[in-house]
Amino acid sequence: MSNDVVVELEGVRKCFGPRVIFDDVSLSVHRSEVVAVIGPSGAGKSTLIRCINRLNTFERGVIRALGHEVYGTEEGKPALKRDELRELRTEIGMVFQTFNLFPHLTVMKNVMLAPQRVKGLSEAQATARALELLEMVGLSHRKDAHPRQLSGGEQQRVAICRALAMEPKVMLFDEPTSMLDPELVGDVLATIRRLALDGMTMILVTHEMMFAKEVANTVVVMADGRIAEMGPARQVLSAPKTERARSFLERVLPHTDGGGVTDVRTHPQDQGGPIAGPIDSIGGSALWSREADEEELL
Amino acid sequence: MSAIALYTGEMLDGAVITLELTAGATVVSLVAGAAGAVGRLYGPKALKTFVMAYVETIRGLPAILQLFILYFGLTQFGIDISAYWAAFVWLCLYGTGYAIEIFRAGLQGIPEGQHEATAALGLTRFEAMRRVIIPQAWVAMLPALTNFVVLELKNTTLLYFIGVQDIMFHARLGVSNSGQPLVVYGIAAGIYVVMNGTISRVGGLLEKRAAIAR
Repeated sequence: MSNDVVVELEGVRKCFGPRVIFDDVSLSVHRSEVVAVIGPSGAGKSTLIRCINRLNTFERGVIRALGHEVYGTEEGKPALKRDELRELRTEIGMVFQTFNLFPHLTVMKNVMLAPQRVKGLSEAQATARALELLEMVGLSHRKDAHPRQLSGGEQQRVAICRALAMEPKVMLFDEPTSMLDPELVGDVLATIRRLALDGMTMILVTHEMMFAKEVANTVVVMADGRIAEMGPARQVLSAPKTERARSFLERVLPHTDGGGVTDVRTHPQDQGGPIAGPIDSIGGSALWSREADEEELL
Repeated sequence: MSAIALYTGEMLDGAVITLELTAGATVVSLVAGAAGAVGRLYGPKALKTFVMAYVETIRGLPAILQLFILYFGLTQFGIDISAYWAAFVWLCLYGTGYAIEIFRAGLQGIPEGQHEATAALGLTRFEAMRRVIIPQAWVAMLPALTNFVVLELKNTTLLYFIGVQDIMFHARLGVSNSGQPLVVYGIAAGIYVVMNGTISRVGGLLEKRAAIAR
């Protein structure tokens, strides 16, 4: 394993009871790489990234995160002890589909809780860090609100701040926008894009194909309990090599509501791939204008 | 009339004992109940089984039978505790059984996502419970807890069977000596209404405060 590898999966199998969710999943994620995991519902995408910080266990194979084996399924390889796992989790940020903010705490307290209670930051240090992060996502004016007073998009951006406040080395995003109204998706994606530009290592389960194409370096297509295809984002999304990936992309792309779909030809089958034209922008929404310059770098 | 006044005074003395026992047993039951519920939900298998068996025993046996076993039964083994302490111990044991179930329901009502969020952030179990899970469960449990305290207080009426000199004890005496059951029991009822009304009120205020703090 090279030093540059942040997360590595080798031959991972996950079952729920007798049902195999996925099998033989191998994947390496390098520093500052953005990996998008796509695929049909039920393919185990969320379960897969939840295995990385061991919110789910698995039945076979090895997952290493930041140099630690997160769960020993091989005989003679003990799992991380509880405190070691906890330590590791502080370095792996997680953003959930359902936000999971703490409803009894204000926005500020949500972001400050773990830095104070886990990392032992002082109130002042934690406040400063939280404010800086909330500023970054454009929510500092909402710092004293409670989560239920926020829109879904705002809640998710707070949740991202909460994870970032621990200064993680890698971020896991579990369908961060799939619970959001379409008009709120953009702000959350803008935040994630910014992290990508800052060089954050990220693994992102998403249904936003346009976004995956734009921000991810690598796309992993999961289907039928396997990795159907994996490779550079543009190549996989524009010209998938495998039949399984192609049929999935053909089904989702015309319906994707990311804003840039109008750019996609409506007869992908003519091209041997679903994405025919260049789709480098996400429909030129004003949401992106802030990062317009940096976007060119991608 | 003066007999009634005398027995009212006695009943008020009894009310002090009722309140002492209720307050003491409530505190012990809530602490033990919270610990029991955590053990029941997150503890090792043996502890889970023990807590489950305990709750079933407390729930399954009639209250008066438990009290008699504790007070009269133990004397067979040479354990001779006063009626007052036997009453206190029984109220604690009984209350704990019910408090465990209240806390368990409250804790289980917190969505799994909250636990996952604390785990993903690296909070210890203890910190997660203290900062995230219990503060939320507390709000949800308040109505049940208010009800619990009222029931504990009403349970103290059974204690007169073993000779604890609570309100009921003095009411019984007052009735047999004055021959005016309706008046004496009516006064006893009034005392209970005031006490339980106060408990409900405090519970209501706590709920209101919790709702604002949310």
